[in-house]
Amino acid sequence: MKKKGQSNQGAPAGGSGNTATRAENQAVLNISNNLEQTLGNIKRELGSSPDLKIRKFQIGSAEPVWVAAVFMDGLINAVAVDEFVMGALFDNSADAAEEMPREPQERLQLILDRALELGEIAVKDDWNDMMLSLLSGNTIILLDGCSKAIEGGTKGGEWRTVAEPSSQIVIRGPKDSFVESIITNIALIRRRIKSPTLWTEFMKIGTVTNTDVALLYMKGRAEDKVVDLVRMRLKKINIEAVLESSYIEQLIQDKLFTPFPTVYNTERPDVAAANLLEGRVVLIVDGTPFVLVVPTVLAQFLQSTDDYTQRFDSATLMRLVRYMSLIILLLGPSVYIALTTFHYEMVPTPMLISLLAQRENVPFPAAIEAMIMEAAFEILREAGTRMPRAVGQTVSIVGALILGTAVVEAGIITPVMVIVVALTGIASFAIPSYNLAVAGRIIRFGFLVAASMFGFYGITLGLIVLIAHINSLESFGTPYLAPLSPFSIRGQKDTLARLPMFTIDLSPEKLGNMNNDNKSGNDQGTSDSGKDGRTGA
Amino acid sequence: MREIRIGSVHFFSLVLMFELGTALVVNVGMEAGRDAWIAIFLGCLVGMLVYTGYNYLFKLYPDLPLSGYTRAILGKPLGAVVVILYAVIFLNGAGRDMRDGSALLVMAALNRTPILIVAAMMILSCGYVLHKGLEVLARTSFIIMVGVLLIGGIITLLMFFSGEMEWSRLQPLLGDGIKPVALSVIRSNYMFPFGEVFCFTMLMPYFGDKKRAVWVVPSAILAAGLIISFTALVNITVLGSDMVERSPFPLLATVSKAALSDFIQRLDVLVVMLLIIGVFFKVAVYYGAAVIAISDLFNLPYRTLIIPSAIIILFSGMLDSRSFVEHLEEGAEMLTFVYPVFTIVIPVVLIIVAAFRNYRSRSRPG
Repeated sequence: MKKKGQSNQGAPAGGSGNTATRAENQAVLNISNNLEQTLGNIKRELGSSPDLKIRKFQIGSAEPVWVAAVFMDGLINAVAVDEFVMGALFDNSADAAEEMPREPQERLQLILDRALELGEIAVKDDWNDMMLSLLSGNTIILLDGCSKAIEGGTKGGEWRTVAEPSSQIVIRGPKDSFVESIITNIALIRRRIKSPTLWTEFMKIGTVTNTDVALLYMKGRAEDKVVDLVRMRLKKINIEAVLESSYIEQLIQDKLFTPFPTVYNTERPDVAAANLLEGRVVLIVDGTPFVLVVPTVLAQFLQSTDDYTQRFDSATLMRLVRYMSLIILLLGPSVYIALTTFHYEMVPTPMLISLLAQRENVPFPAAIEAMIMEAAFEILREAGTRMPRAVGQTVSIVGALILGTAVVEAGIITPVMVIVVALTGIASFAIPSYNLAVAGRIIRFGFLVAASMFGFYGITLGLIVLIAHINSLESFGTPYLAPLSPFSIRGQKDTLARLPMFTIDLSPEKLGNMNNDNKSGNDQGTSDSGKDGRTGA
Repeated sequence: MREIRIGSVHFFSLVLMFELGTALVVNVGMEAGRDAWIAIFLGCLVGMLVYTGYNYLFKLYPDLPLSGYTRAILGKPLGAVVVILYAVIFLNGAGRDMRDGSALLVMAALNRTPILIVAAMMILSCGYVLHKGLEVLARTSFIIMVGVLLIGGIITLLMFFSGEMEWSRLQPLLGDGIKPVALSVIRSNYMFPFGEVFCFTMLMPYFGDKKRAVWVVPSAILAAGLIISFTALVNITVLGSDMVERSPFPLLATVSKAALSDFIQRLDVLVVMLLIIGVFFKVAVYYGAAVIAISDLFNLPYRTLIIPSAIIILFSGMLDSRSFVEHLEEGAEMLTFVYPVFTIVIPVVLIIVAAFRNYRSRSRPG
């Protein structure tokens, strides 16, 4: 694209990403010797956008040279720009009176050498690299008569500050959460794992958005096979825009046709750190506080930080409650329908009498009744989720009135059905992970249909098929039901129950050995599923 | 498709679930009267003995299923004919079990649902799981096994606490001599359900740990034998041998006697669930064995055969007899006359030919 000059500059900083396609679309532009022409090209390419700031000035006393500093307003750290530009270009010390060198290369070098104020500085000779750097918030310095550009790392601007997590709330545990800035997010993890074995790789994904994606793993703990697989799948992604980590999630997940999430996401740095220590890979996408964790297992979606900050006995109880609520969510309404329409002999007689007395006035069969109520509940929940806060109260009051009292008094739904549906609804909130709860809500309707047509026969077959389906899932080479099937005694320490900390305190050597054991074992390599590494944090 | 490797635990659970299958719920070995449980246990031992024969063949050809080594031993043309016969018997086994299960379900719980729909649901579920692969079937069986054992444990505890069990109903032990017991064993007990493990000869090459493979299946047969025998014993102590003999599902009647205060009164539905699970695994294993045999013989991809086989199983199972009574009659005759040919006669011939060849090929160079 461009012929190289003498290469006495530092290598351009990484991130040459997906600029190729942009170059294909437009005429190939170069950084020209003529400053005016280059500035004109920049303006034209950005459509003379008003947030593009160009400051042009002369330096050198005897033979002044035109220099321009180019940056995007709002993306830069104003203080850094001032210091960089002032420090690098206007040196007020005594020997500044000396002549600027004549050779453009030497001038460039002089400026580079003077720019002490910045930690990050590089020379760009590729147009697309330069533009990407400019749009990332760096300041570009162009010299008249020189076909290279200096890039000063002045990224900054407004970001949300680190706040409390909003979707993964705990009783006890760290109160910080990830933010939208990828650099801050990596720092939040590094503060927890001060180890040189925490390795980070950057790549740019999205041909238009050029979003930064960081791949974090702990060398020696993460299986190389998994890291390679993640890297390969990330490289394969061909998409224009990445606006949230879910874009990446949906492009690297193992299987499309399943309601179950095979990529874990979290907004808690402590959870991300614990997962890194367990040998998982963490993906951070710029612009979103939700980071991805792979590989994952089903049990992980039912765990919470509270499991480790509370005593082991209460943690086990909480965890069992969550498993129970998953079962209630899946089977609650369908078991009720099966009992009341197919197998009423199972219901104790006094209860059956009261049930039938209630059903007396209701025009619908139980299955229809359940469908109506479940649909109404889903509508209510959806309305509540995205409701502006000011009207949120209205939804809950109206919902409670309609779904609670009025619907029963109007003789449309039996009171027991209201209880069953409410219980399922609450159960879905007891699952710590939103995407697993959604999976449960979808599958629940399948069970509802099966139960209304075949009673317990439908439920049993449905359960077998569901278990087989979950068994067939994999997340980056790890079976989705990992410590349960394939069964490993070690994994049970932290799956259904959470045993006391000393039993799951694995030193790094042991953890490494365990991974190796599993690799050589006759079942496929199962990564440990528990949060064993937490104590090492 | 990835290479299939079934772990030992999962293979064990698959064999156990297959064995328990319907045998846990229906009437087994009642020709022996109150000594049925002895007959069942003896049948289990005979079943283990029969399996050692399959183990011999497995050791000779650890990477081939039955359909593979039959052709290797008997030669291509004759072997192919035998494999076709086996495929037919597997399809028939799946169809019969499906018919059994659906008819029992229609009787026990779904008396207004057409039997064809019930059967179609069953075969659809089996087809789905087999489509996911044999490994998934085995892993699923492990989780289901844990559930079944839990249900079994709860029911057993309830039976003990309910005070319905009377040990005197077992006495006198072998009161009519050994003859009825032996007759029962010879007629059908060793074959149903223990001889039926012959379809696992099709799955043996997928066993992950070949060394342990030799022990896993017999131990699963033994475990199944103990459980079924214990169930029969509980049935007899609760109901008495007269009632057990006349009842189509003695376990259903037994369990309905269990009660915990006034709340848990009828746990029959748990038994119905056990029945569904058992039928599912029986159909799925026969179905899988048939699909492997056909795909091995004709070199067809495994997954394309799932739907055609499902249709054959569904209709052959539904059309094989005019009524359920006729179906049962047919089943009893098949157990006595047809199944032994496939579980004993053909394997014995295979063993003899293989041993002879083995002997010759070993003695020739030496």
